[in-house]
Amino acid sequence: MRRVSLLAKVDLDTCIGCKTCERVCPTLSIKVKDRKAVVDEQRCTGCGGCEQRCPVFAIKLVERDDPYTIEFKIVPEMKDKVDELCRKAKFHPEQIICYCTETRAEEVAAAVLAGNDTPEKISAATGIRTGCKIECIQPILRILNAAGITPEKPEGYQWYGLTPTLWDINEDVKKRYSDGGFRFDDDIEVFEKVINAKK
Amino acid sequence: MRKPIPPAKPKKSQYGIDPNLLKKRMAELPGITSVTVKELFPDTPDVIYPSEAGKEAIREATIKSLENVDMSMIKPENSVNICASHHGFTLLGGEAYTEMLKTVRDEIIRRTGCRNVRLRAGVGMRLRETEEYIKAFKLDEYFEGKAKGVAPIDKGIPIETEIGTLYGLNAIYDADFVVHCHNSDVREVHFHRQVDRAVKPFGMSYARAETRSTYHQNLGPRGANFTARAIFNSEFVQKKFAFATFLNMSPAGVVGVVSDNDLYKLNEKLTFDGLKYYGKIITLFGQLSDCIVGLDFPCPVPYVFASGVIYANFVSANVDLFNLESLAPYTWYTESFYGKDGKPLIPEIPPVNPKIKMVIHNYAWSGYPSAFFSTHTPTIVVGREQADLMSRCPMNAKYMDHAVIADTLDAAMEFAYKVTGTDKVLIFDGAAGGINVSESLAKEMLEKAPIVAEKVDNELMPIWLKQRGIDPLALAK
Ligand code: SF4
Ligand code: SF4
Repeated sequence: MRRVSLLAKVDLDTCIGCKTCERVCPTLSIKVKDRKAVVDEQRCTGCGGCEQRCPVFAIKLVERDDPYTIEFKIVPEMKDKVDELCRKAKFHPEQIICYCTETRAEEVAAAVLAGNDTPEKISAATGIRTGCKIECIQPILRILNAAGITPEKPEGYQWYGLTPTLWDINEDVKKRYSDGGFRFDDDIEVFEKVINAKK
Repeated sequence: MRKPIPPAKPKKSQYGIDPNLLKKRMAELPGITSVTVKELFPDTPDVIYPSEAGKEAIREATIKSLENVDMSMIKPENSVNICASHHGFTLLGGEAYTEMLKTVRDEIIRRTGCRNVRLRAGVGMRLRETEEYIKAFKLDEYFEGKAKGVAPIDKGIPIETEIGTLYGLNAIYDADFVVHCHNSDVREVHFHRQVDRAVKPFGMSYARAETRSTYHQNLGPRGANFTARAIFNSEFVQKKFAFATFLNMSPAGVVGVVSDNDLYKLNEKLTFDGLKYYGKIITLFGQLSDCIVGLDFPCPVPYVFASGVIYANFVSANVDLFNLESLAPYTWYTESFYGKDGKPLIPEIPPVNPKIKMVIHNYAWSGYPSAFFSTHTPTIVVGREQADLMSRCPMNAKYMDHAVIADTLDAAMEFAYKVTGTDKVLIFDGAAGGINVSESLAKEMLEKAPIVAEKVDNELMPIWLKQRGIDPLALAK
């Protein structure tokens, strides 16, 4: 769940039309038109990605007149399918996968099952990845991958690709590095317990 | 009763309240005294900074540490990126780290004739934080307009590693050579578990969001830092890596500066030193009785300092964080393992340090997801402006759902003393060389420190080293 109380505002006199904001926005809510950045005010989550990266400080976050909450409700009939998708992606359905918004795997899985097939659509539907914008991209890509979806990449550099998980590390690598303190198998055991926890 | 040590000064930053709004520091409260690290642990090494020699001691130590470093691969026509992180600037006011960076630059130019030496400074989650430090320390002028803050959502570059493709930041690797400049304090031991501590920035402040997400979501609570090793070992990085220079830290300050062309050799030494220097104070923290904690430092909630140790370590101090058998009470992995009923999904997840009876958030920044802390420990935020700052932060929409506001620090303390029934106070305010605490807690720390020291030296240190495959005798040679 994400409470949205802020909105990006562009100072058009300062904007140089460089498109940095467009390339980082996790919900594709800002676009450069006629060399000036324009915010889709309905869609903007006030995450601050654009404001933090604009090279000429043309963007400010302002209070919204109409604060709102983003939350993707799970329909009870979908619960089994949602749980199955989470576990296929190696998450417990209740596992928190975005620390900023406390979004749990089940909410993202439900959004994916409802047809949200890119990280950008999922962010807009659930609010995930609109806090720090850093830590939750892999869980999103993992859940899409488990659903058999290869998401279309946006033109910017919102994200690049799926990366390895513990389960992808081969025995040779494990063997070579476990003496130095990396406990891959112990961690897999912890994860498996979490994934299969009865709740 | 000894006077409190002056706390670290507040900093003007977009991530914190205006320093003028900070009316009173916790060290000014009645009954607050200080203990030095040396009093607690007499074998604490002497520091070169802070000292009377000031930042000159850092310059001298950096030049000396570089004497045995090979820079011959750098030719005058090459470009070099000195890679830095925000962390170093938070140590002891930031002057020591800044001086180390400047000296490394000057030495590269002097010894190689290469003038295209740039500064690339990475961040945690406050994407403009190092831009603020670059400005405050006039590093852009020093680097002749070639200093840049870089963030994990900036343009990336794929890096092929032995576990698959990971992603670095383009601006970190856009030079012929990279020089890795960091600090050795154990800091986020809950994340890296003091395994490959010196390598971590390759998986973090020099890395793209995908890689950082791999670290915190994909590779597990004790495998996470392998992300950094995988990137550092890649052919791409190995071709560019020239050398590393570190501020070698102890809880009392800067012990020295160390440099090497071999990062793993440096890593082994710093892993050992980190366990030795920080093992005792963190273990002592785990032995303390019920107390009130004060956050009073220019950093986000988990990163405020007491005797060189961050608050996140105290949150986990009920468990031996250096023992790899155990899971940390606070990491993002453990945070993720709490179900909707607020309870861990599996019983193996340890609770946060139950000795923390109340937290007074007198001065700490936003810009890091911190709701976990206010959810698990009763928290009073001093001043509405600070509460509003947390609520405006996109990473902390829920922090104030679990915290209350007091108008003044005095009102917050009066409430905390009454409700907790303890007079013990531990302040995370960056006091250099020691800790500001209540008289009662100072007494307890001084009593317990010798017992802890013996336990660490004789019992824990051998376990910690063995788990990391470090042979102290071989290291001494
Ligand atoms: S990043 Fe800033 S300058 Fe560039 S297009 Fe967006 S608003 Fe304009
Ligand atoms: S980056 Fe964030 S704040 Fe900026 S337009 Fe997109 S959603 Fe809004």
